[in-house]
Amino acid sequence: MKSIGGLLTLVLLCLAPHALTAQEGVRAQLEARGLPAELVGDVVALAADAAAQGVPTEPIANKAIEGWAKRVPPQRITAAVRQFYTRMVQAQIAVRASGVADPPGELLASAAEAMGRGFTQEHVGAVVEAAPEPAAAGHGLSVATALQAQGLGPDRAVEIVTGAMHRGQPVAEILDMPSLARAMQARGLSPGQVGEQLMLGGGGMQGAHGRPPGSQPREGQRGERGPRRP
Amino acid sequence: MVVRRVLDGDTELYRVLVERYRRLFGRYAVGMLGDRDAAADAMQEAFIRAYDSLASLRNPDGFGHWFFRILTNQCHNAVARRRPTSDVAAVDLPAPDRADRLVEQAELGAALEAALKELTPEQREAFVMKHVDGRSYEDMAQLLGVGVDALKMRVHRARDALRASLRGRT
Amino acid sequence: MSEGNRLSQNAHRYLDGEPHGELPEAERVQTDRLLEAVRAYGESLPALDETLDDAVLAAVRHRRPARRRTGWRWLMEPREVRMRPIWAPLAAAAAVVLLWVGTRGPLGPEAPALTPTVAADTVFVRFELMAPNARDVWLAGSFNDWRAEQLPLAAGAGGVWSTTLALPLGEHQYQFVVDGERWIPDPTAHAQVDDGFGGTNSVIVVGPKGVVRS
Repeated sequence: MKSIGGLLTLVLLCLAPHALTAQEGVRAQLEARGLPAELVGDVVALAADAAAQGVPTEPIANKAIEGWAKRVPPQRITAAVRQFYTRMVQAQIAVRASGVADPPGELLASAAEAMGRGFTQEHVGAVVEAAPEPAAAGHGLSVATALQAQGLGPDRAVEIVTGAMHRGQPVAEILDMPSLARAMQARGLSPGQVGEQLMLGGGGMQGAHGRPPGSQPREGQRGERGPRRP
Repeated sequence: MVVRRVLDGDTELYRVLVERYRRLFGRYAVGMLGDRDAAADAMQEAFIRAYDSLASLRNPDGFGHWFFRILTNQCHNAVARRRPTSDVAAVDLPAPDRADRLVEQAELGAALEAALKELTPEQREAFVMKHVDGRSYEDMAQLLGVGVDALKMRVHRARDALRASLRGRT
Repeated sequence: MSEGNRLSQNAHRYLDGEPHGELPEAERVQTDRLLEAVRAYGESLPALDETLDDAVLAAVRHRRPARRRTGWRWLMEPREVRMRPIWAPLAAAAAVVLLWVGTRGPLGPEAPALTPTVAADTVFVRFELMAPNARDVWLAGSFNDWRAEQLPLAAGAGGVWSTTLALPLGEHQYQFVVDGERWIPDPTAHAQVDDGFGGTNSVIVVGPKGVVRS
């Protein structure tokens, strides 16, 4: 594999100046953390491949660093990084199919994570299309994944996230949803009920969302604090 | 200043940085590895890597801290590479009933060196910086990018371990 | 670990050069012996000389010259930590309320900050672990490049270790590191994910209101 990596590097050197810079960055980063030379070589070769395919190399480097920090044996790190990279490529296919030409690393990593947990390409596409920009899509997918982990089905989780985005809710508020879901479950709500509340847009905490109270009057809603008034 | 000039092409000027930081950090390297040649190798490797990545150093005034990170990684690597051989049992010190003070000192030093090998790299590093280099916790925190509390914990654990080791030897 | 294997707090303070209480004679003898061993060791350390400098220069002359890249960015962008109103506590006792702790200043211009500075919006997030038998507990994750012994938790009552970090909005993965060697996930996190190395990373999604867990 190393010789193939070396050959690939050579080819890339001729064809893509960009690739060389990304590789240099990865090499410097890994060496600064003390990864052994052979492991660095393997990961840099993967990064070269990634860069040539337009897949951001930073998440790949970080995965190698994570393995090294956890004292995982180098061969295992290489295998895990290679697997991670493969998943990133699959995520890239899904995201590009939804019209994002140059997805940022975080978006791909979030998409890869979601797809690893049973979200389909369609799910990923729905969030990407609903998002105001790619970074928001990454956050949206993180939220959907976290909601799924708390017992909501992938369809429901995606529905909630895309619904909020279509309503124009700022991404920052959408990021509050996993915590909201936890808080509701602590109050005794089932995942189904949590899902309903999130679909309604806030779990009954209108005022706490930062919009001035009363700016969006709704009938029959609970007050900001305290018991319902008849 | 020197860094900028090296980046502009004056390779020979790198010697200024090498000499300065060899003096400042050489003791750390020897203390970490317990062996002059191994320390020289680690330092040389660190200087070469620093040179290769010099352009990526964001703040030229921060060469010292940045280089120290590279050096600590080299030293940790070198320690990790030596792990498999356990030469603890090989240390066989004669009983401390000699009248000769110098010999006793040498033996004590050797005992400590053997005991140091049994520490984790982070503990050894913190202990060496604190007691061999004589640095303050604040200095160490700056150099290693680790909090003072965390460093104290490492040093304290190192001392406890060393004390236990030394008791068996002296 | 029995008491006999550890130095007392006083002894450590003494060795740290800090104000300390009375040391029993036996312990004072041992700490002095440790110091003596260290001094002997320090004196026996050979120094590195200028042959190292020669070797380094000889090596770098043959390498691609270090070239300055134009337009390098400053290390730290201005960091703004916005204070948020405390989350109104919910009825159930299980909800965790956000705590506000003063932010620690940067260690120095070159040292990486203990808290990340990438986003302008950062929020304080508390991490807790119940580990009554641990000697020390650390936090390592995507926010600090998985450095295993950089972010310590403080031991509290009932064997609960905790710390508070300022984190940017979004997803973060992490684990606790117990006694410097056992990597364990956080059972209260929003999700658990396979780390690819046979272990499990904990995931939290940080929103502007902070993090609520179980």
